[in-house]
Amino acid sequence: MFSTKNVFPIANLARYNSTAATFVNRNPRNLERMRIARKPDGYHLERPGRVFWHKLMITPTNRTVKAEVIHFVNGSVIEAKTSELALRNQLYSMTDTCAYINLGRVFAQRCLECGITEMACDIESKKGSKIDKFLNEVVKGGIKLVEEPVYKKPEPWDWIRTEKPWEVTEE
Amino acid sequence: MNTFRSFWRINSFHRYQQIRLGHRIRGKPPLQCRTIKERLDELNYKDELYTTRIDIGYPSEKKSSSKAREERMELSKTTKNDKKMEELARKGLLEIDMEKSKKDWLQSLGPMHKKQIADHYGVYEHLYGEGFFIPQLHLEVFYDISDGNCLPVYYGNVIKPAEALESPHVSYDTDGNTLWTLALTNLDGHLAENDKEYVHWFIANIPGNSIEKGDVIADYLRPFPLKGTGYHRYVFVLYKQDGMISYDLPKITSSSPLEERTFCTRDWYKKYQDNITPIGLAFYQSDWDITVKDFFNKTLNRKEPIYEYDFPEPYIRPQEWFPRRKPFNLYMDKYRDPKQINKEYLLRKLKTEDPFKAPAPPLRFPNAHPLPRNMPSWLKVHEKKIRLGWGRVNDV
Repeated sequence: MFSTKNVFPIANLARYNSTAATFVNRNPRNLERMRIARKPDGYHLERPGRVFWHKLMITPTNRTVKAEVIHFVNGSVIEAKTSELALRNQLYSMTDTCAYINLGRVFAQRCLECGITEMACDIESKKGSKIDKFLNEVVKGGIKLVEEPVYKKPEPWDWIRTEKPWEVTEE
Repeated sequence: MNTFRSFWRINSFHRYQQIRLGHRIRGKPPLQCRTIKERLDELNYKDELYTTRIDIGYPSEKKSSSKAREERMELSKTTKNDKKMEELARKGLLEIDMEKSKKDWLQSLGPMHKKQIADHYGVYEHLYGEGFFIPQLHLEVFYDISDGNCLPVYYGNVIKPAEALESPHVSYDTDGNTLWTLALTNLDGHLAENDKEYVHWFIANIPGNSIEKGDVIADYLRPFPLKGTGYHRYVFVLYKQDGMISYDLPKITSSSPLEERTFCTRDWYKKYQDNITPIGLAFYQSDWDITVKDFFNKTLNRKEPIYEYDFPEPYIRPQEWFPRRKPFNLYMDKYRDPKQINKEYLLRKLKTEDPFKAPAPPLRFPNAHPLPRNMPSWLKVHEKKIRLGWGRVNDV
């Protein structure tokens, strides 16, 4: 992102002498988590869309099935294949329905461990198909397949004040 | 006659394609222009000199391909002959044992995947600059929560500071003879300098698996991500030592000031790179919590700094003397100091508020109450907006 930076100036200027007025958070995934980062944009009739930070992609080949999380800049970030030893050792076939279901479970677990719990998914699946079962397992595993829209700071003249995503405290 | 007319048509117009809004278009036509991907690549181009990275960890063990092939053939033979498995797979009931799957993953592709995700979070970039390592050894870190459960630290999961108040349990596979160093650093949270990290926990010369017997150079300090700054990364790195090492670092206890914890992993590692190698990695992200406020007030004895994201200013057109078809009050409010406007709303609110009485209940039909007849229409609209709770009244 070239115009959004991780810069945070302090709210009340005069009081805190010992802390810097601006704070830069170097975490590259911070702005995406706070929903402030820019999402890449294209034409609205483009397919597949490019408006995402992280995207789920499934690549079935003749011998394996690969499930990936793709970041719009860094490419493939989390991968799970049925031809890995972890899955292949315990599966009968690498491309049947059970393979998809178990791949979904393992993939969801890995995504949770890596902290990427929300991703865009533009895979349309027929009800009851292997891919549908895979997606059900992923959602069961705790991954949200919808990415939130970018938070826009309300201007003073705007009608509605939306709530800020970082001020939502879970109880 | 027909041929004469069509001759003229072809002659004048075959070269000129109708381009809609052609007088406003900028840049080259669609088939000659660079795509956005090409333009971004040009902008972000970094020479090889700046982007070569050095592997500072242990190399992965290479399995001979013939052995791997043999194992694969054996495995496929056993599975294809297993009738129970085939039946379960056919019925869609075959379920993997997740624990075993995780073990297999950690031994085969785990380290590479961990490195990939650490790259995505920029961990190596901020720890070592041009260096990186593949975490060959699995490092297990668990925080104990009040329920009796434990919260594991993987590679990027979110842990609140309230859950990380005490030092976690760390374990890894080892044969008893080697010495280890464990360092927990916060890559993002430095209050004054941006390039430096804070070291939250540093234990050197750990014999085997037991963390308690190592030399504690820095006592465990709980995470304190500042309010409004978002998610900070806290990274555990385990180094394998060649022998006994005494680091030059001054001893940091829980009562020493925060400035002493300033640390730069890159410079420190440069000094000791011949004697230690990084081999284990685990990191988590942490957000603000109410316990951080208590930490600042009680432990550090200072006011908690609160930050807000610096959004870019909205673009407002330069003010005109005679704006056409614009409501004059709304137009001019855009060019006033927003603080002044908020002050007026605040004063208006304070007139009706009493600190010792409960606030008046909101009206059920606020705009059913009439406004004075001689009030100008723009002022009536303004009053109605305030009654409905729209717009600037919420900035109070």
